[in-house]
Amino acid sequence: MEVIGDCFSAVGDQFWDQTRNGLTLGAIYAMIALGYTMVYGVLQLINFAHSEVFMVATFATLYAIRDWFDISEPQSGLMLIFVLLVALMASMIASGGLAVLVERFAYRPLRRRGAPRLSFLISAIGASLFIQYLFVLMDGQHYIGPIKLPAIAGPNPQSIPEVMDTQQVFSLFGSSFSNKRVLVIVAAALMLFILDRFVRQTRLGRGIRAVAQDAEAASMMGVNIDAVIVTTFLVGGVMAGAAGMLFVQVLGAPAFWFIGFLPGIKAFTAAVLGGIGNIRGAMLGGLLLGLVEAYSVPCLGAQWLNVTSFVVLVLVLLFRPSGILGEEVGH
Amino acid sequence: MARDDKPSASTQAQEPAETDARTLGRRMKDARREMAQRRGAFRDARVTAYGRVRQAAGRQLQPITKPLGVFREKIEENRKWAYPLIGILVIAAAALLPFLSEWFDLPDWARRATSGSALARVALFALFALGLNVVVGFAGLLDLGYVAFWLIGSYTAGILTGAHSYTQAIGGAGTAVEPTWSMWMWLIIPAALVAAVIAGVVLGSPTLRLRGDYLAIVTLGFGEILRITANNLDNITGGPRGVRGIPHPAITIGDINIEWGTLLDKKYYWLLLIFVVLWVIAIRMLDNSRIGRAWVAIREDEIAAAAMGVPVVRMKLAAFAIGACTAGVGGVIYAEQVNFINPPTFSIIQSILILAMVVVGGMGSIPGAILGAAAVVLLPEIFRGFEDYRFFVFGFVLVLLMIFRPQGLLPSKRRKAELKGHVVEEQLYAAGGG
Repeated sequence: MEVIGDCFSAVGDQFWDQTRNGLTLGAIYAMIALGYTMVYGVLQLINFAHSEVFMVATFATLYAIRDWFDISEPQSGLMLIFVLLVALMASMIASGGLAVLVERFAYRPLRRRGAPRLSFLISAIGASLFIQYLFVLMDGQHYIGPIKLPAIAGPNPQSIPEVMDTQQVFSLFGSSFSNKRVLVIVAAALMLFILDRFVRQTRLGRGIRAVAQDAEAASMMGVNIDAVIVTTFLVGGVMAGAAGMLFVQVLGAPAFWFIGFLPGIKAFTAAVLGGIGNIRGAMLGGLLLGLVEAYSVPCLGAQWLNVTSFVVLVLVLLFRPSGILGEEVGH
Repeated sequence: MARDDKPSASTQAQEPAETDARTLGRRMKDARREMAQRRGAFRDARVTAYGRVRQAAGRQLQPITKPLGVFREKIEENRKWAYPLIGILVIAAAALLPFLSEWFDLPDWARRATSGSALARVALFALFALGLNVVVGFAGLLDLGYVAFWLIGSYTAGILTGAHSYTQAIGGAGTAVEPTWSMWMWLIIPAALVAAVIAGVVLGSPTLRLRGDYLAIVTLGFGEILRITANNLDNITGGPRGVRGIPHPAITIGDINIEWGTLLDKKYYWLLLIFVVLWVIAIRMLDNSRIGRAWVAIREDEIAAAAMGVPVVRMKLAAFAIGACTAGVGGVIYAEQVNFINPPTFSIIQSILILAMVVVGGMGSIPGAILGAAAVVLLPEIFRGFEDYRFFVFGFVLVLLMIFRPQGLLPSKRRKAELKGHVVEEQLYAAGGG
């Protein structure tokens, strides 16, 4: 009992700071979770390679910032906005492209054959392993056949130059919000809003919802299922790409071949927490999971941070496997 | 595309060139349709050519294949004594493998592949693959955190042998005596088995009721939780420093005195081989029992199985527990062999490697699991200089296998029929033996 009391008082001391941290992290989880949830909605399968789609974005950001702009010190003004936009675009294109490639080569052949679900999962793990170690090998010293792999990545984390100075923008309840956090929260909110409108109001979005509800009936009504599935992967990938770029910005994380694993598995937890297949559920789940993780830090210590989300996952699966908002696939 | 009737490409070409977007679109559609037709024709041609080559090869090889077929039939007729005989021959051949390099003048790569440490590694991973094969291959449950049970086995050994308190003592003040093996320590193997089974049931009972793909991610998480926990709980597991000085096993009964030495000792291979053989026998019996049939039923259609009165959750738990205890036993021997363990050893990639072994060999196939382990462990050993490419290639192979040969290299008959799809009912009954 005393432990729990200590825990509450510890959280109470840092409540607003941790709420702020949780919301920033949660916004990123929500964006990655969308990829899991949308793919689950249309194909009823967990896209294990999604964490690699996220990982690629960190390298795209690194490339945009370090090699294209050759930036070594923080920028300001229009240049800053331009650099950030280009990095965002590069990440979104890289991740979206990779997601589509994964669909094309790891899933579609299996879908054509009507393979059992286990095959999809194993193929996804294979694709994930392949992409990860492709980045490990790209250190400029390895060959695939006669082709020399470019020196893009390599086995060690590569730090990304700071583009933005960290400045306090405003403070709320005694906890200060830096410009980076504001950027993440605003960008994430904007992207989530656009996505929500896209799925609900456009023709393609309607197609996605139709396939999620009943793929066979949708195809009989003239929905091109393949196009819908590719769009779903693309949109999920683009969101993961944006998330990757923001993640790197706010946490100062490096570009690294294994960096996708933990955010990926946490985003999946977020998707399950909100109700897998449910797009708004993924957003809510992401934010909630971010908050739970943040509050666990003063309570249990930072070394247990990564365990918290797994425990949350198991608890959700135990007590409410359909998630908070329910598995309303296609709504 | 096929739904609207458009004029063919030839009539289009006679018309004057129009820049009208609609015509352009129509032409593109026609071109695409033609491409599809050509591709189809090419595919047909390829299939026929492949068939012809196969037939021709079959005719040419008849002098070899015919006696082989007769031989196989003979074995099938006398399976009661022929199967054990073949088994004994295979075991004897396997047991003699480490002597090959002493008897013959082998090339370097073969010497490396038949060295005691490489073979011991093959046997260890064969044991793991056999255990995971029960979970993934027989029951159809994807377990991505298999390394967790290996960790439990290894740490059980580390703590019960007293190596853990020895490690703690080196770190702090106090006298430290490195633990040595005494006969009661063989009981650690059953103890680790029980610990792993308990962990398997604790993890499995809440999650096995759920959809299959949730299980995959929960087990993935479980593997990570245990690794992080082992890293954080300093006073129970030794934290990031790990456990050192785990004693090598020994047998002393009267005059008999067998001691296992360092990592390179060939005796570890034989010790592990004994466990592999025991496990193969036990798993074969299970597979052909009521439990094995229940697993097949669950794997093929869970709802139908439940309707037929198969206790689905209990059977899944059984598969999970058997897989777990295998890894626990393997973990103990691993810890004794390398005599130092720390959390990074048990990273996620190990689970995926073991899964790759099961999939490459053929899910649900016992010889497949062993072959898969041998391939995954020995190929990088044989092709030195390509170790860096190992995981990259495994990832690629996993995808390719799922696309082109989902049943694996040495498929079990029953699983092959299922994974390939298009099951003819007759085939399914014929394959009933598994």
